[in-house]
Amino acid sequence: MLLSEVGYARPASVDEAVRLLAENEGARPLAGGQTIVNVMKARAAAPDVLVDLADLSDLRRIAATADGGVELGALVTYTQILTSAEVKAARPVLVDVSGQIADVQVRNRGTVGGNVCSNDPTNHLPPVLVAAGATLTIVGRDGDRTVPAEDFFLGVYMTAVGPGELLTKITLPPLPGGGDGFSAITIGADGTCIVSAAATVDGERARVALGCVAATPVLLETGCDEASVREAVRGAGLDPPSDVHGSAEYRRHLAGIVAARAVASAGEDG
Amino acid sequence: MSTTATTVAPEKVEAPQRGFAGQSVPRKEDRRLVQGQGVFVDDVRRHEVGYVHFVRSPYAHAGIVSIDVSAAEALEGVYGTLIGEEVAALTDPFFQLSVPPGSEIKDYALAVGKVRHLGDPVVAVAARTRELARDAAELVEVEYEPLDPVLDPEHALDDGAPVLHEDAGSNLVWSGTFDWGDFDAALAEADRVVRIDRLHFDRFSSTPLETSGALVEYDKGTGQWTLHTNNQFPGFAIIMMGPALRTGMDKLRFVSQDIGGGFGNKICTHPQLVALCLLARKLGRPVQWTEWRTDQHTANSHGNERVFLDVEVPVRADGTMLGFRCKAIDDCGAYSRYEPLGCIIWAQVTPGLYRWRNVHIDFSQVCTNKSPCGPNRGYSRMQHLWFTERLIDIVAHELDLDPVEIRKRNYIKAEEMPYETPNGCVYDSGDYERCLEIALDLVGYGSLEERRRDAESRGRLLGLGIGSTLDSGTNNFGQSQLLNPDLQFSGNNEVATVKLDIFGEVVVTLGTTPQGQSHETVASQVVADILGVTPDDVRVRAGHDTYWNSHAGFSGTYASQFAVTGLGAVKGATEALADQIRRLAAVILGADGPEEIELAEGFARRRDNPEAALPFMACGAIVNANNAGLPPELDDVTLNCRYVYKPPFQVPDKERKFGNLTLTYATQIHACVIEVDPETGVYEIVDYAAVDDCGTRIHPQIVEGQVHGATAHGLGAAMFETFPYDEDGTLLTSNFYDYHVPHALDMPPLKTGAIESPSPFTSLGTKGMGEGGGAGIHAVCAAIQDALRGAGNAIVTDSHNPYHRVWELLRDPEASRALVRVETR
Amino acid sequence: MEPVTSMRVGVTVNGALHEREVEARRLLVHFVRDDLGLTGTHVGCDTGNCGACTVILDGVAVKSCMLLAVQADGSSLETVESLASDDGLHALQQAFSDHHALQCGYCTPGMLMSAKHLLDHNPEPTENEIRRAIQGNICRCTGYVNIVEAIAAAAKGEVSA
Repeated sequence: MLLSEVGYARPASVDEAVRLLAENEGARPLAGGQTIVNVMKARAAAPDVLVDLADLSDLRRIAATADGGVELGALVTYTQILTSAEVKAARPVLVDVSGQIADVQVRNRGTVGGNVCSNDPTNHLPPVLVAAGATLTIVGRDGDRTVPAEDFFLGVYMTAVGPGELLTKITLPPLPGGGDGFSAITIGADGTCIVSAAATVDGERARVALGCVAATPVLLETGCDEASVREAVRGAGLDPPSDVHGSAEYRRHLAGIVAARAVASAGEDG
Repeated sequence: MSTTATTVAPEKVEAPQRGFAGQSVPRKEDRRLVQGQGVFVDDVRRHEVGYVHFVRSPYAHAGIVSIDVSAAEALEGVYGTLIGEEVAALTDPFFQLSVPPGSEIKDYALAVGKVRHLGDPVVAVAARTRELARDAAELVEVEYEPLDPVLDPEHALDDGAPVLHEDAGSNLVWSGTFDWGDFDAALAEADRVVRIDRLHFDRFSSTPLETSGALVEYDKGTGQWTLHTNNQFPGFAIIMMGPALRTGMDKLRFVSQDIGGGFGNKICTHPQLVALCLLARKLGRPVQWTEWRTDQHTANSHGNERVFLDVEVPVRADGTMLGFRCKAIDDCGAYSRYEPLGCIIWAQVTPGLYRWRNVHIDFSQVCTNKSPCGPNRGYSRMQHLWFTERLIDIVAHELDLDPVEIRKRNYIKAEEMPYETPNGCVYDSGDYERCLEIALDLVGYGSLEERRRDAESRGRLLGLGIGSTLDSGTNNFGQSQLLNPDLQFSGNNEVATVKLDIFGEVVVTLGTTPQGQSHETVASQVVADILGVTPDDVRVRAGHDTYWNSHAGFSGTYASQFAVTGLGAVKGATEALADQIRRLAAVILGADGPEEIELAEGFARRRDNPEAALPFMACGAIVNANNAGLPPELDDVTLNCRYVYKPPFQVPDKERKFGNLTLTYATQIHACVIEVDPETGVYEIVDYAAVDDCGTRIHPQIVEGQVHGATAHGLGAAMFETFPYDEDGTLLTSNFYDYHVPHALDMPPLKTGAIESPSPFTSLGTKGMGEGGGAGIHAVCAAIQDALRGAGNAIVTDSHNPYHRVWELLRDPEASRALVRVETR
Repeated sequence: MEPVTSMRVGVTVNGALHEREVEARRLLVHFVRDDLGLTGTHVGCDTGNCGACTVILDGVAVKSCMLLAVQADGSSLETVESLASDDGLHALQQAFSDHHALQCGYCTPGMLMSAKHLLDHNPEPTENEIRRAIQGNICRCTGYVNIVEAIAAAAKGEVSA
């Protein structure tokens, strides 16, 4: 419950934030804090410095892109997404999924950037972004770069954002011909995911990203009929973790089911 | 000893007291609590306090090689530390309730020599701030020598199993045989014998939202400790702590105002409290400790885990249940702190709701390297009632009998009340069949088959389950002597004082330590009706203080007894006060005698002339501040009355383990309808009803609130809540992230019903209630088994059934079916 | 600004500005409880699950155990102590009492603040919306039945005088 001593800075610009992150060894960005503060309470991590992004209001913007997609600043909260006409228009699945994350208070503070950067395997957004083909913009002292979602997630709590870098933006392309879907088996209603799947359907093909079955979302490309989806999951060689909420075998079993359900609901979306 | 020697003769049933009693008056506690003005333990502040952090064992089982606190003590802002060696020198081990070998267990406030479970406290550190205390705790260096842990209670007594407590020489805490009726004759009489290899009641706890804590002050001048603490059973804590600290009751003052839930989990905090007492004395300053959620989960008080092995149930062809025999192994975790009382408490409800007359149980309790166990809402009876209900539904399943009909056939009937169980307990009153009918009506039993078909059309499996709680209240502590004949506990008591003060204030103090049970409100209703005032006129002191004159050996709030013991004391004290007021008024008003005086509307007035009336304020003022010239016959009129309620118990027969163990038996019958997704094992409760019968209800809304809460605990335990350990003895659900408790979206809509079967054994017709959690656990188990009838016909053998376990039952029903056999005679 | 391990923080709490020097590591809930002495806000877990510490920060319900006090610098905070006025209890407080929506009262302050946040944004919630609004607040006493009823009653103004 009680944190180790930590330094704190609240920069006024992205440049200053990046400078603080680069100049202070052991510095970590602080967005909504709904993961990192918990981790620090458990003293499972003890960053030397927290760089509070609260004043970087540019990163709170949601904007429709010219091609019909949508850009989310890294500090956009789940609550913002829930009421965003731009997101609803471009990728409505994000609205549905954001409403299932944690609870009101956490949704009020928790940010999309925090969700993807913590990359807890049970998080909702990593599979959604991978299936949707999102790109993520990372800023460092040498400028910015854009990483596709499927390359962004590297391991549990590990992403392409390196030391001294900051995730600033997530860009979702416009919906392809079909739609997006999401399905999860959770601990209780809208609880932590035991297994999740996000799907983006484009005509006869679906991109399915499975959550909770590996350190990072597992991306599968498959046909849209249930048999194809299940076959793709069976063929993926999943080796999911076992824990109190489900054995590896149970997760493997559920993966095929939620993948099929996600694809089916993506069909409804389109 | 005759079979009736320990039976309580029914008292004449008084007409139910009606007035404010029976009405859901506004709760007195609410006004402060809704404004955030309650005083919970962590709200108590003192200057120069030392915040305490416990260094805890990272191992399930390990020797302590060395402890070095020098770096911690050198940290700026650290006030000092306490280690096990100091505890061993300054205190005696806590008194053990068991006979050998359990009696040889040495349990101290901090680990001495070795640690026995993850989270076992090893060192206490006190510092200027909470954060610094934790920083310093991280600087304490403890060298451990890891030992193999004992985690499986069924193998704790195996040859070569590591032994937790070397002094005991065995992991056995207690064992004994309970044999009532004639089980062999029942076997001989049976047409069928249903055999079940193994049933398992899972480990969980009700995890009150407020964790344990204390602020402890030591007065060097008087040698007295004041413990502001949320311990819910100070009577027991003091009995444990006085001898350990080598001091007397008068030196241990327990104070609490508001307690944030207890459910039994706040009974066994005496080890931490002793550590705090020692630290406060050593450091010469108050010390404050607030348990963390993780600590509560790893090292406080779990509900007992229990396995039932080699179960035999002889049955007649028509479904009449003749008895049961089994071997029960109870796992009490690393230390026996309230244990082995759980080895007898279940016997309060030996046959459950059923007319089983022949019972044989070989019962043993063992230690394992897990969190110590202790009372948890429904303590020990919950495990046993689940077992009895599971037997009913497994027998019904195997013999193809209807679960409703088999219950009606075997329930104890209303007209058989008071009913003496095979072990001499006396069920005071109740109508189980009526409760069941109401519950079934509430969940639309009549249309069940239609709904089953509708669910099937949606690809879902629908099931109905019935569960029960027999909420035995007001313990006869004499049952402890059935475990250990040398123990000197029996009966029960509770105290209240009621006084009329100078300005006419009616002031009540209670010996109880409520944690949400609304004692201030309910006490005021009883007092108001006797004194002829309103509950608003009655001031009930908030909380508990052993320095008030309302503390007795069994004071506290536990084991469903306030409505009997607490209110019994309140009623006794108030009647004494009323009598004194009448005597005083008779003299002042010149009436012929006290019987000529009535109390109404805040006055003592002559029945024959209501104009001749003395306001309570005048009564209080005369006795307390203006008493010159009062006649000598009023010398004993103090208007300050204390009453100790003692239920009419005898010491049970130790040889036969026979006698009345509790005074009242409230009932709850629950009915649950679920829908299962056969693909995933995910299920949802689609309909739920709980019907309560706790005798005369003083405050129906409060009773219903207890039913709701207990149901939520039951459903949580059935579906989500569990304390599993991995092979190293690490708890896998040490926080609310992994230990999922039901939130508002998880709870189904609850329907409730009630009947009132007044207790013939209590003066208000009331029964203790509140521990109804077990019914929900079983109702869910039974509903799952029912839903799975058409999908492999699995048998539910575990109390805890998360989705993945239901999926296992669907995938491999034969594994569960292999545990059950039917022998036809 | 360069990183600091302690700073002067100013937070407007229930309408009054409070300034304190606090360590960067101090959680907002400890600032509120220990530094300001507003003990109505409670702590029930270590992991941000229970919601007993819910307060309203700049109009938004948050869990004060998942924020640092320094993050609240310059903000406006409402705690349970702000609900009642000289005129009496807030409608939610009265409704909680009317409907026996609290037993031990430990979750109640956080529950009330979540409920207030709901009604501030959605004056006519459905039952499901109420349940969703308090999903982040654990109550171990009531099974939520009466809490849901109380919030619905408060929304409709059906509270006793």
